[in-house]
Amino acid sequence: MSWSDPLIVMTYRELKRFIRAKSRLIGSIINPLIWAIFFGLGWSSAFNFPQAKMIFGGFDYMTYLTPGIVMMTIFTASFISGVTVLWDKQFGFLKEVLVAPTPREPAIIGRSLGGSLTALFQGLIVLAVLAPMISNIRLFGVIPVILIGLLVGLSFSAVGITLATKMTSMEGFHIISSFIMMPTIFLSGAFYPISTMPEWMKILAYANPLTYGVDLARHYLLGTGDLGVVTDFLVLVALTVVTLTVASTVFRNASIE
Amino acid sequence: MNYTVIADNLVKKFGDIVAVNGVTFKVKRSEIFGFLGPNGAGKTTTIHILSTLLKPTSGEALVDGKNVVKEPANVRKVIGIVFQDPSVDDQLTAYENLYIHGRIYGLKGKELEERIDEALKFIDLYGFKNKQVRTFSGGMRRRLEIARALIHEPKVLFLDEPTLGLDPQTRAKIWDYIRMIRREKNVTIFLTTHYMDEAEELADRIAIIDHGKIIAEGPPDELRSLAGNEVIYIKFENINGKNIPCEDDNFIEECKVLGQDSIMLKVRKASEVLPIIFEKFNSRGYKIGKIEYKRPTLNDAFLYLTGKEIREEEGNDLERLRTIVRRRWR
Repeated sequence: MSWSDPLIVMTYRELKRFIRAKSRLIGSIINPLIWAIFFGLGWSSAFNFPQAKMIFGGFDYMTYLTPGIVMMTIFTASFISGVTVLWDKQFGFLKEVLVAPTPREPAIIGRSLGGSLTALFQGLIVLAVLAPMISNIRLFGVIPVILIGLLVGLSFSAVGITLATKMTSMEGFHIISSFIMMPTIFLSGAFYPISTMPEWMKILAYANPLTYGVDLARHYLLGTGDLGVVTDFLVLVALTVVTLTVASTVFRNASIE
Repeated sequence: MNYTVIADNLVKKFGDIVAVNGVTFKVKRSEIFGFLGPNGAGKTTTIHILSTLLKPTSGEALVDGKNVVKEPANVRKVIGIVFQDPSVDDQLTAYENLYIHGRIYGLKGKELEERIDEALKFIDLYGFKNKQVRTFSGGMRRRLEIARALIHEPKVLFLDEPTLGLDPQTRAKIWDYIRMIRREKNVTIFLTTHYMDEAEELADRIAIIDHGKIIAEGPPDELRSLAGNEVIYIKFENINGKNIPCEDDNFIEECKVLGQDSIMLKVRKASEVLPIIFEKFNSRGYKIGKIEYKRPTLNDAFLYLTGKEIREEEGNDLERLRTIVRRRWR
């Protein structure tokens, strides 16, 4: 059977579910906006002196923070979308797919793609809300950011799916959210530059795939960053390929046992 | 081939637990085969093996002539399944649920649209085509799941506890649809249940399963008679001190006089011997005033075979819990 049918239909399902769950949309946008506005604007006025601006690539803190918040939004939304496979598991949809005569790999890639698209959409809304509040944003930078957001979304929804396929309980979800999501965000350079981090933290930040997405977004939206664009892209593409392969493999061998 | 499902000595172990312990049976084409047993007897595990979701520890199974372990992809093409746990997506509409299912089975375009409409009409949900499933009652969700399982025109339909947790009226309605599927669609139905009445109402043949083993198999009537004899009570009129006649024909296992004007007969099959009994007493001038007979139920049969009753209500707690969890998380 073809690969396109399950891929398209699983993407379709994620998009439909996203449109239906309006409260979820609001919830996932409010959270980053609270961070951006209360945390960002608060520190922005505290860091309102020249030396501080130098740390943040010559920008005020709020401007510096914005690309990070956009990537944080995409990361969180796509990761959670992947983890909702756990719900599918609990409520039978997973069995539906497993018992169908369809290749499982495109089904799960389609699900990642759907999660990635909805996460990207949320990231762009957050960007649209924040853009008028900051200066110097490069409007044309939004185009590469869409691609970057898609890659980040694909990778992390794949990670979420992999974990959820392996997890057996709902409790695992809370453990994951505190042990994976928060550190990933803090160690990504979304809130502060990697260059000023302590050495041990730098190592963790470089090992964190989200770092490269945040750095790229900052390059294209502001024109500043800690790493090179080419490195960032190579890492991100490699990450996407690896995470999708792992998710497909895990899901292909998924069993209800 | 006359058999659509053949299970040969299926065994499934989960660690130390033996869920299915050497199950062998054959399901004829176009019949409704009932798998009756208490919760935890191995019914769902058997369905999961037959539908390729679980690999058996040992033994073989063929569905429509295809081996479930060696050619799962071919088996998946010819089966439809309604799982015990609800598996429709309640954030989506009835149409979207069926559409997604159809696409996963490789259907598309006009053909898929037609099949969706046909399935929704068949199960009387056409008026709710574009309504979100979360507004549906439990019975409507079940019907939608049945419609979904039929979209790709399977040869074998697996129904795992199709009326679990539904109220009596809704259950009766679901039974009507299951009978209708048998009548109108060319499909073999494999049904599991722990409800005696469901098995009796629907199944052409029943296998009673307990602790992973089939302990009896046959048409409902045959199984009932395992529990023993049927009992006939006859009350005569105008007996006026006449001797009460106790018959000793070979079809009567036991006869007992009760009081002044009544007898009790134990027979193998009351429906067959009643006319003969009428005839006999009539020709001898006895007037029958009242007649009553009691048949053993499947529950009696189960009791006879296992020494315990099928626990009717178990499983509902779990179901209720699921509903609560579902509400909280979604």
